[in-house]
Amino acid sequence: MTITAPRIGAALDRVEAPLKVTGAALYPNDVSYPGLAHAAPVRATIAAGRVTAIDTAEARAAEGVIAVVTALDAPRLRRGPVTLLGISPPAPLQDDRILHYGQYVAVVVADTAEQARHAASLVAVEYAEDVPMLDIGDPRAEVEDDPWGMDVDRGDLEAGLAEADVVIDETYATPDNTNNPLGLMSTVAVWHGDGSLTVHDATQWPHGVRMSLAETFGVPESRIRVLAPYVGGGFGAGLRAWQHVILAVLAARETGRPVKLVLTRPEMFTGVGYRPESIQRIRIGATRDGRLTALAHEAIAPVALEDDNFEAVSHTSARAYACPNVMTRDRQVRLNIPCPGSMRAPTEAQGNFALESAMDELAVDLGIDPLDLRLRNFAGTDPLTGLPWSSNALRECFARGAELFGWSRRTPEPGSMRDGHWRVGYGLAGASYPPYQVPCQARASLQHDGSAFVRSAATDIGTGTYTVMTQLAAELLGLDVARVRFDLGDTDMPYSPQAGGSGLTGALGNAVRSACRQLLQAFLDVVADDPESPLRGLTLDEVEAGGGGIHRAGDPGSGEAYTAILARHDLAELSADGRSTPPTPDTTAWAGAFGARFVEVRVDADLGVIRVARVVSVIDGGRVLNAKTATSQIVGGTVGGIGQALFEETVTDEGTGRIANATFGDYLIPVNADVPDMEVVFVGGPDTATPLGTKGVGEIGLVGIAAAVANAVHHATGRRLRSLPLTLDALL
Amino acid sequence: MGPFTYVRAVDPVEAVGVVSADPGAAFLAGGTTQLDLMKDGVLSPEKLVDITRLPLRGIARTGTTIRVGALTTMEELAADPTVAVRVPFVREALLAGASVQLRNMATIGGNLLQRARCRYFRDPSVAACNKRERGSGCAAIDGVQRMHAILGTSPHCVALHASDVAVPLIALDALVHTRGTDGTRTVPLTGFYLPPGDTPDVENVLRRGELITAVEIPLPAERTRTHYLKVRDRASYEFALTSAAVAVELDGTTITGARVALGGVGTVPWRAWDAEDVLRGATVGRDAFREAAEVTLAGARPLPGTAFKVELAKRTLIRALETVTGAP
Repeated sequence: MTITAPRIGAALDRVEAPLKVTGAALYPNDVSYPGLAHAAPVRATIAAGRVTAIDTAEARAAEGVIAVVTALDAPRLRRGPVTLLGISPPAPLQDDRILHYGQYVAVVVADTAEQARHAASLVAVEYAEDVPMLDIGDPRAEVEDDPWGMDVDRGDLEAGLAEADVVIDETYATPDNTNNPLGLMSTVAVWHGDGSLTVHDATQWPHGVRMSLAETFGVPESRIRVLAPYVGGGFGAGLRAWQHVILAVLAARETGRPVKLVLTRPEMFTGVGYRPESIQRIRIGATRDGRLTALAHEAIAPVALEDDNFEAVSHTSARAYACPNVMTRDRQVRLNIPCPGSMRAPTEAQGNFALESAMDELAVDLGIDPLDLRLRNFAGTDPLTGLPWSSNALRECFARGAELFGWSRRTPEPGSMRDGHWRVGYGLAGASYPPYQVPCQARASLQHDGSAFVRSAATDIGTGTYTVMTQLAAELLGLDVARVRFDLGDTDMPYSPQAGGSGLTGALGNAVRSACRQLLQAFLDVVADDPESPLRGLTLDEVEAGGGGIHRAGDPGSGEAYTAILARHDLAELSADGRSTPPTPDTTAWAGAFGARFVEVRVDADLGVIRVARVVSVIDGGRVLNAKTATSQIVGGTVGGIGQALFEETVTDEGTGRIANATFGDYLIPVNADVPDMEVVFVGGPDTATPLGTKGVGEIGLVGIAAAVANAVHHATGRRLRSLPLTLDALL
Repeated sequence: MGPFTYVRAVDPVEAVGVVSADPGAAFLAGGTTQLDLMKDGVLSPEKLVDITRLPLRGIARTGTTIRVGALTTMEELAADPTVAVRVPFVREALLAGASVQLRNMATIGGNLLQRARCRYFRDPSVAACNKRERGSGCAAIDGVQRMHAILGTSPHCVALHASDVAVPLIALDALVHTRGTDGTRTVPLTGFYLPPGDTPDVENVLRRGELITAVEIPLPAERTRTHYLKVRDRASYEFALTSAAVAVELDGTTITGARVALGGVGTVPWRAWDAEDVLRGATVGRDAFREAAEVTLAGARPLPGTAFKVELAKRTLIRALETVTGAP
């Protein structure tokens, strides 16, 4: 048997790619059942007040309509549980109060999706309207200081500012941005005759959906199965069991039919979270030679009235630079708005824009190269704990990036680099993403034919989870990747946390590693007293997997194949469970990913048009499991960063709270023509905090782009833009 | 989308007869605007008369004009060799619009009749829209203003006309051939569109059931140089913030003929007659171009959110003139 084990890190093509490109991969909205009915929600068209009447007569009379459930007659439902992501969204349709525009006030179920949508438009809702709180500065709004207990005070800020030769004091603003995965959020719910429930959902966390549905509908978790083998992107929108999921399950229960609910694009703007706006004041003091003496970052962001969202915008600034005197402050304002939620690189995307713009302003004021300024203030140890980093290759990121980008060609004077009508600007930003890992489980089985089946209820939202876990298990078990099947997206599999927080690869990878090692141990246990086995009496530390079996470490000829062991012991298969827990290093500070982003922009001198011409990203991503999928994560994040920098802004109508641009024609995200050449390079080695040594790379790709673009626009034009998105009207 | 019936017309006279006689009926061509508006609940025709099989597709050169059947797609017109050589700015405008997928469906007749992109017009949950329901008011004027018009507006409507190709076509004095119940007629594109006034729901001179059968494009003199410049936030697949279509004839550095129209700024595709007067006989250069831009935008009525468009439109026109004349 010739086996070529793939090296971890190899650029293996996605194992599920053939299914996706042939259309064979079934996404939740592809699922159907005999007798499937379709649900469509009705949304409030005011942002604050009460529903006084709902006339459903016309809707009920419309062709194909099976049921209409409204906020005035819906059955009582319990709110979902508190999970590791915080509280669950409120259950829908539970009272007559309207807390935000787009809140669900009814759901219509009909034989076809078109009939349901049409009938939903016939539901007539009357309101008693209040004046909504929509502005972050509304004096009526409740403001909470330090909502997460993460504010930082280090040293003496005022003294640090007083000793500074130069002080930057500027305010930056970022707008609401909306997650726009191509796959519309969709749910298919089926109640079975025995009272059990199957749900197909575009979720990033099947177990989270199961927990929510169990609590909301009073069904034991063991009688609920949630399936999400393929998800058409998420970017955070699929982290929670949002209200439309509950509506679909409720509709199925009320009608006794399998029900599918697919949100429309406009509904995605009010029902599945979004990056909330922020206003951020930054003060930085520095000596003439560019040493930071003080750093203060104060941020405010909105949240919904009766829901929550984690958005500690300023926090990472306390960890970004070696600075003795630091203050970070976060505040949250409760408004009549749809609840914000995680959007790729929540908090970091906004906070980094402000901090790295301010650092650029400081560099300009001091006449120091922006790259040098960052290196002079490199945090060699973790500023929060004083401990050495578990790994940190940020300086290599800057050095390598500068070389690849050609930073030395930059002439410092703004507007000094030109190409015809175009003013050319070079900008950079540093980036970091905090580490995150939560407990995870996996199970690995070896079949009698020597093939392996490894699984966990995780999701692959386009990141490459299927592929990297296949690769990892193949290497750990000494098998060819073609002999390994990794499966996911099913709550009947071992528990997995969400694909989020850039934490899944670490959590799941370490759980798969644990399961595979436990499986090797299970084989050693079987042959422990087997006189026919060359592995008899060996411990896990004394063996390696390879060539389709186990052998003495360093001696591939000394072992035996899995198939031989299973056959001799009359075993059809052997299985083992594995689990991972978050690392708790006590002599190092657990580091996340780091990166340096270099951007070239072109700004039309007369028309103000801004185009990103080039991006070089050098990322310390720890141990990279697959060069291709990891690079794709940075590329995708970079495109998201270009969107944040130049295009994305969810606009809310004053007074009504209506989203004024909730379509792909009006909410701009980058198209291919906006996406330039992007070079991605990884540096650094395995992180020492976990056995696997990975760092999450799902989000850092977005961090730093907006600041690097803004800094490049300043270099091109001399104009400092402190409010995103950067648009041409600000440059005329 | 409400329920509707669907019929496929086999003859233009019959199609015109059906739609003229039935207030609930509407033509369906490429559908790229029509179906969106139906899905959004803005339009609710009870009957769609599919005209895509009518013999109104194709491009014919007749002497000094090109006659374009109304059902010719945007991509087909963009690929026409005569268009590419004699009026390249028509091709540029076509290719700057929409996406390839849409351009393969969208027809020239439909393009001229596309409805406003105004998000207040396109969302029936907004009650106040004079274009949807005359007399209901205009939420857009006090709303998010960045994409609104600054020329030809009224207190009743500020919605922009979003067509790209209509801009060079109006500069060329294109003609619209139609068929109604009274027979055929020809309307100059310069007189085809109606400013909103107090009837923003009436957007053009077509009568109920009257069908565009062809668009006739007069070819300018062979030595005419043309250019279409579109300015927008995104590099592709976005409507214009501002655009300019220019066609000039030069004798040395003297402009002997000029045709100018602007997009992205008007409630209708905006023919800049005053600019043409300035340019005709002028010497190529920044002074004449700036003056042409100033006179064109002199009547602009911007809102706070569209104030930037006044200067942007001027610079767009100047840049287009610089490009087409090769001026430094």
